[in-house]
Amino acid sequence: MHLILVGLSHKTAPIEIRERLTFPAHKQAEALTLLTSGDAIAEAVIVSTCNRTEIYAVASGADEGVDAVIDFMAGYHSLDRHELVRSLYLNHGESVVRHLFRVVASLDSMVIGEAQILGQVKEAYDYALNNDATGKVFNKLFRQSFEVGKRVRTETEIGENAVSISYAAIELAKKVFDTLAGRTILVLGAGKMSELTAKHLVSQGVKSVLVANRTFERAQELAERFNGEAIRYDDLYERMHDADIVISSTAATHYVITKEHVAKSMRGRGGRPLFLIDIAVPRDIEPAVNDLSNVFLYDIDDLSGVVESNLEERMREARRAEVIIEEEFASFARWRESLEVQPTVAAIRARADVIRQAELEKACKRLGNLSEKDLETIDALTCAIVNKMLHGPTQRLKQAAEAKDGYEYIETARHLYGLDDSEGRGHGRLRDLLNRRAKDVAETAGNEMGDSLGC
Amino acid sequence: MAQSAVILFWFATVAYVAATVLYAYFFLSKRASYSWYATFFTGAGFLCHTASIGLRSSAEHGTSLNGPNTLILSAWALVFAYFVVEHLIRMKVYGTLLVPVGLVLMVISQLISVRVGAASPLVENWKIGIHVALIVFANAGFFIAGVGALAYLTQESQLKRHRTSVLFKRLPSLANIDLLVRRAIAFAYPAYSAGLLLGVFRAIETDPPGWWADPRVMLAGLVWGIFATYLVLHYTQRASARTTAWLALAGVLVVSVLAVIARTVPAGFHVFGL
Repeated sequence: MHLILVGLSHKTAPIEIRERLTFPAHKQAEALTLLTSGDAIAEAVIVSTCNRTEIYAVASGADEGVDAVIDFMAGYHSLDRHELVRSLYLNHGESVVRHLFRVVASLDSMVIGEAQILGQVKEAYDYALNNDATGKVFNKLFRQSFEVGKRVRTETEIGENAVSISYAAIELAKKVFDTLAGRTILVLGAGKMSELTAKHLVSQGVKSVLVANRTFERAQELAERFNGEAIRYDDLYERMHDADIVISSTAATHYVITKEHVAKSMRGRGGRPLFLIDIAVPRDIEPAVNDLSNVFLYDIDDLSGVVESNLEERMREARRAEVIIEEEFASFARWRESLEVQPTVAAIRARADVIRQAELEKACKRLGNLSEKDLETIDALTCAIVNKMLHGPTQRLKQAAEAKDGYEYIETARHLYGLDDSEGRGHGRLRDLLNRRAKDVAETAGNEMGDSLGC
Repeated sequence: MAQSAVILFWFATVAYVAATVLYAYFFLSKRASYSWYATFFTGAGFLCHTASIGLRSSAEHGTSLNGPNTLILSAWALVFAYFVVEHLIRMKVYGTLLVPVGLVLMVISQLISVRVGAASPLVENWKIGIHVALIVFANAGFFIAGVGALAYLTQESQLKRHRTSVLFKRLPSLANIDLLVRRAIAFAYPAYSAGLLLGVFRAIETDPPGWWADPRVMLAGLVWGIFATYLVLHYTQRASARTTAWLALAGVLVVSVLAVIARTVPAGFHVFGL
């Protein structure tokens, strides 16, 4: 059983290549069936977003698995294999788990902390699950990855602070008004940036939108898009009195809104604050406006400063997220180790040896004075019996583990030998304690019985 | 019973210490689970605190109105008022600001000495009991308003200076803080007025010509005037939230002066021989 990942993302491939390698929802079933139909791939999940296409797979062999996935990608999209390989990254084993955890935690995203990726990976997993393309390994891995995503979002503030100019403006406006529901915004200038900011503000529940522009027709056009009201440029200062938030983005080369204008419009507002966002260069609003009581002015540099500070904050939170990923990775690694053949064979042998030594000790006590040579002979005898008893099953287990669903044999072997019931595994100290106590009692009872029988 | 009261008092103090630490950690890390534990410890402390006051009162056949007891009652009222505020506004961050104040009052109550003497017959009256209870509750409300006003001015200053510090991110919006301050004063003010009125009645009964010649009465009048101005300015919207926040802060400052300095001035009838 080998975990592999073959993929490309915004970090390794330009949009021209990424757009040719997508697996949209309606093609996922077909793609997953094709991918898992061969012998090489036992389980597969295809994560396909605008920034990445990644195929996670459980393969019987690492190299065969990678080859199968690359062939599939090239064949499915009719691409040249050699050209494709240049844009791909490959991961094996543990690094696949780490990579997936980083992806769902949005540490690998273009904008660190963005929220969509978790939903997109969940969707990809659902497609795979519904098309029988997942098994025990991926069911465990992906479910645990969702836990990672959830923990990162709840235990860190990675997605808390705005990292775009328009969202930073909203965040700041909320620091003044708490909620934007029922507020009035005045958009000055019908540029793209002010439109975008207004759009975000409207999505937050703003009640009415006033639009002012030198060309009244353009103001009407923009106002219509928000079900707002276009106002004449001459009425601007009068109508500013009604506004809670002003977004300014005109092409004027001088200040359009001065301290005097704002001071006038602040009279008779009943203590309502005014939040001004100046995203124009050169600036539209006189900076001295910020000195007025209950007036808050942010220009493009101030907003960029907020965004930068928020990005730094996200980077700090990303370090906390890495700690969570390590914790979850360790937990997954423990689970996965239990499915590995070598540790399982070693554990079976260790258990057998413990039993052999305990029985040997008991037998020696009963036999009394034995010479050194006798002891060596008995020891070798018991070793030979145990080795011969275990040789066949462990060899066959190793062979079976190489097969597509090999971990099922390992799991069965662990169950038959009771390896997961021993100390150190299980669900807690209480259980360990009870197990140890039960074991002590069983051993004591065994001794008493042996003695009483006089064997 | 008195011994149980002392033990419960210290249990309450320890619970408030735990809550303060957890609230601080919540403030820095913003992990909701810490605020839950902090609220739990505050609640546990409050129950112990209430039981302690009750047991002490039973053991001593009433609560004497000395400095430490007033501080203990003030801390109790503050925590009680915090739970009311938390229920109304649902902002856990206020716990970070208010529970430590309650803890400080508890600690100070154990540091100041009590002068034991014969109680003045002036206080042996039902009006005084209600007067003190109302003033203690009102002061708790004013304190909450004061802490809110300070938070408002801090947040406003950060918004003006375009700073986005940890404090900026943790403190609620200006509108929310302003609402808290206004509600706290609106609830505390009637209690304060009623408390003052009862006190004045009792003072006039005792000393008709010179009832007002007492530093605490005079300062209480000033407090009453300041918060009356606050409410008028706020509800008629004649002043900005910033101005009213300064006014609330000034009011709380006078309340503190009244509680500490005026008590130490041996003049007027607020000297009970305690």
